[in-house]
Amino acid sequence: MKNFISNLGYFLKEARTIFRIDFLSNVFSIFSIGLVFFILSMVISGWWISKEVVEVLQKEAEINIYFEENLEDLRIYNLMENIKNIKGVREAKLVDREESYRRMEEILDKEARILELFDENPFQPFIEVKIDIEQVDEILEDIKSLEDIDYIRDNKDIIDKLQKIITVLTIVGLLIITATGISTLVVISHIIRQGIYNNRDQINTLKLLGAPDSFIGFPFLLEGLFLTLVGGILAFGLIFFTFKLGYEQIGTALLFVPLPNMEVLVKTIGSFILILSGILGIIGSFFGLSSAKGN
Amino acid sequence: MIEAKGVYLVYGNGTEALKDVNLKIEKGDIVYITGPSGSGKTSLLKLFMGIEYPTKGELKVLDLPIIKEEENNIRKLRRLIGPVFQEFKLIKGRTALENVMLGLRFLNLPHRKIKEESIMALEKVGLGHKRDSLVEHLSFGETQRVAIARAVVRKPAIILADEPTGNLDIDNALNIMKLLTSFRDEDTAVIITTHATHLLEDRVEGKFIKVNNGVIAVESRGEA
Repeated sequence: MKNFISNLGYFLKEARTIFRIDFLSNVFSIFSIGLVFFILSMVISGWWISKEVVEVLQKEAEINIYFEENLEDLRIYNLMENIKNIKGVREAKLVDREESYRRMEEILDKEARILELFDENPFQPFIEVKIDIEQVDEILEDIKSLEDIDYIRDNKDIIDKLQKIITVLTIVGLLIITATGISTLVVISHIIRQGIYNNRDQINTLKLLGAPDSFIGFPFLLEGLFLTLVGGILAFGLIFFTFKLGYEQIGTALLFVPLPNMEVLVKTIGSFILILSGILGIIGSFFGLSSAKGN
Repeated sequence: MIEAKGVYLVYGNGTEALKDVNLKIEKGDIVYITGPSGSGKTSLLKLFMGIEYPTKGELKVLDLPIIKEEENNIRKLRRLIGPVFQEFKLIKGRTALENVMLGLRFLNLPHRKIKEESIMALEKVGLGHKRDSLVEHLSFGETQRVAIARAVVRKPAIILADEPTGNLDIDNALNIMKLLTSFRDEDTAVIITTHATHLLEDRVEGKFIKVNNGVIAVESRGEA
């Protein structure tokens, strides 16, 4: 260890020299690795965002029950009580016309002036029912059997579709993580092998002087680590700008989609990519070194 | 220090490089291995460095058996000897000092000590002023001296120099011989191979081993 520390400066200098010997090829490798990590980040982000959206939707899972027009207050009250008694219903609340109007104003925010085009409040009162999403089918059956119901609006189709998307994204994500991991390992180990080949005379001299394998190999390990870490940082930068742009575009276009906090998303994905790049750099370098050892 | 008993070396292509070599080299010896090109001098040196292994027979260098299965012994041996290769094997893109320091880097010495010893070694070979020059910017003679400094900096038990007089004129060759033998002391042996036997005519000190067709033809000891 003492020997290692006293030679740290030498190792870093050697790693820099090895990098410079095949400079252009190494720069291209950094870009390749950066793009591979960027693709990986986008897949993970897609999976995360969808998962979060579905979770939020599941928590907010509700159905809106529109009753017949001009229904008396007592009958509305009875209807609500009947709904509350259905298994799986967590809460039932009457949303009157004014409340409906106010909610839409909130949702539309700056665009709310569009509502002023109406002479009178266009919204109908309804009963907002929060439910346990897993029992949605049974609840809908029970509600349909009640009297005075005009129309039921549920989000089941959307939630089902999102859940299917998450399943697909999870599988695709895992495949892409595996593919990018293998690609990075192959790229890094190839670069290391190339570096060893380019420096074969120097390695041979070191062997003749009695240098241990760890002493000979460490600069190559540093080079591999450097390449992947810089690739990871490059990917991190790309993620940041893509998300910043994406959130500005998607955030305004899809007001109803509850996107996760951008800062948290970027920090988490970025940290993951940097840690992964370090791990893959070390493993890839070891592969490169061990595969070149026999030669 | 070095003991060979009935050593044979046969290369993969069937060439019999050394045949029935028996020799003993003691601490503090100066040994000249002579013979024409292709006689087996370098093969003998390769055996001493653990670059080749005896096909048959027994060879011990610094009490370490030279056998293929003992890779750790070979590594240990290489740290105890100071080789000066025929083609020098210095690392390009590095300074003279960095090349000399390389000889000590993995010997568990503090960085300051490595640097101090390396500067001293360069000064001993007369290249203290060139320590920051890249080796590719040095002349042939200077490069050779850097290679010698790298070999001696580790204060090796044996200095092994392969054809150090190779392409040098007589004056420079003699200077190199003098320089190499100056590192001999009671604990350090110096072994030099050369085909230039005329250079040895005036040099009576040391042990002379003449190799011919892989066989040690003459072994004699000069007197001071």
